Amino acid sequence: MLITGIKSKPIYTPLSFDASGRYHILLGAGVGANPLLRVLAEMKKTVPQSMIHARVLFKNASAIEATAGNVSESELAFRAVETVELRVFNNVASLLADFHILATGSLMGTRLYVAGPESFIGLAMQIALQFNLNQDEIRAEECGSLARRVFCIHCRAITDEVVTNIVKCACQRWLLVRDHYSRRLAAYMGVMADAEAPGELPEMREVFR
Amino acid sequence: MSAQTITVEITSIAQVTPLIKHFRLKATTGGYLPAFSGGSHIIVVMRGQKRIHRNPYSLLSSPNRLEHYEIAVRRMDESRGGSHFLHDVVKIGDQLEIAHPVNLFGLEKQARKHILIAGGIGITPFLAQLEDLRCGEVPYELHYSVRSHEHAAFLQHLGTREATRVSMYYDNEGATLNFEELLAKQPLGTHVYVCGPAGMITRVIDTARSYGWPNSHVHWEQFNAPPVGDAFDVFLARSKISVHVVPDQSLLECIEAAGVEVPYLCRGGVCGFCHTRVLELDGELLHHDHYLSANERTTGKSIMPCVSRAKAKRLVLDL
Ligand code: FES
Repeated sequence: MLITGIKSKPIYTPLSFDASGRYHILLGAGVGANPLLRVLAEMKKTVPQSMIHARVLFKNASAIEATAGNVSESELAFRAVETVELRVFNNVASLLADFHILATGSLMGTRLYVAGPESFIGLAMQIALQFNLNQDEIRAEECGSLARRVFCIHCRAITDEVVTNIVKCACQRWLLVRDHYSRRLAAYMGVMADAEAPGELPEMREVFR
Repeated sequence: MSAQTITVEITSIAQVTPLIKHFRLKATTGGYLPAFSGGSHIIVVMRGQKRIHRNPYSLLSSPNRLEHYEIAVRRMDESRGGSHFLHDVVKIGDQLEIAHPVNLFGLEKQARKHILIAGGIGITPFLAQLEDLRCGEVPYELHYSVRSHEHAAFLQHLGTREATRVSMYYDNEGATLNFEELLAKQPLGTHVYVCGPAGMITRVIDTARSYGWPNSHVHWEQFNAPPVGDAFDVFLARSKISVHVVPDQSLLECIEAAGVEVPYLCRGGVCGFCHTRVLELDGELLHHDHYLSANERTTGKSIMPCVSRAKAKRLVLDL
């Protein structure tokens, strides 16, 4: 009963280095480390050492991801890339706050790379939009958990890390998670699942792992 | 486009520099002219004795004042008539036809800062945009380069309110705009707009690119008279007529003179509206537009007749 075929679900492509930029900001979460390391490797091949201006803001893998990826390894791998400034965070909120400060002082010619779960990408994009970064300045690759941020169209609350087709909102309504994505809210729309026949819910299934 | 023309009357003409005349137009029906946003241009249709000219001019008047439109016309050295017609032939009280305003050079609404760069007559679209910018909160600056004081048109329009936002560069005083300095250190979300001579536009585009500016933040507009060239013949397949294109008229103008309408907006090779399919070609297309991709040029299947020409034994167009 998922409503699909909706165009607003963003499409991501594998990250690559954009040599037309002068400064590079890389944001990663969890297994998002791997695509970022690939970008850094490409950068080192293309740009002379002295011309590299790159900053990495990285959030360590969460408990769920820790089983799949390996935190310390990613961090070590970043540290092994010289001339790149690295900052490591334990939660997304502080990483984003740091990104906001960084963007405020950044110059035209900056390219943004984002790798991680879609919800992470969405939140980073919200900030990027505030700074009027356009499609030709941003690259994003989805990896890791497919968990969604869900916006309740009835009470406007956001439920994070949703992995199931239906979810109970803070307002006690059961929401059906749609494919309709809002870039402004960085969330998928959740609509009351049993509005027409109260109490009649589709079977709960785990669909966004 | 003819369905959309508006008849206007010239209500004032002023010589503002040795080369630039300033015209004020009002609708002959009275009342307001169509609304427009800063950066828009109109096409002015001028019925000369021998031929019709259709030239694009930026609206420089305030988008908040629709009882009249204002344009400025620079006398071109090798004008094929349009600017000479407006400079030497028309007088106050004459009527002209204009097409609805179209904006191909609008301000970016999400921008966090605007940098406007004008060379000479290229100041015109910015005069209208400044009216919008003054009311907003987004920072902006205007860099205006001219030959000398006597060539600096519309300084009084910039007014004292703008004094801190405007930098003037007078060539004869050796004051040149340093594009590197200007574009190297701008905050994220800045947009640059340039209108002026071709050389200036190219330098801005190249400099911006070298500092990593993406294309979506660099905007330019240029109104070129269509280049002159050798005469050639073209056959219009659907209309089943042959048209002879003379050296000093564009392909589009000659097609129009033969009574065939082609859609257009800019008449400057930018908007893409006059895109025409080439059905047969024995020879070479001389592309002068900024619209077709390099690939489309080489395949020879398309032409923008507002500016491009041909050197061909046979050319058949899908018109
Ligand atoms: S009319 Fe705009 S490209 Fe020809």
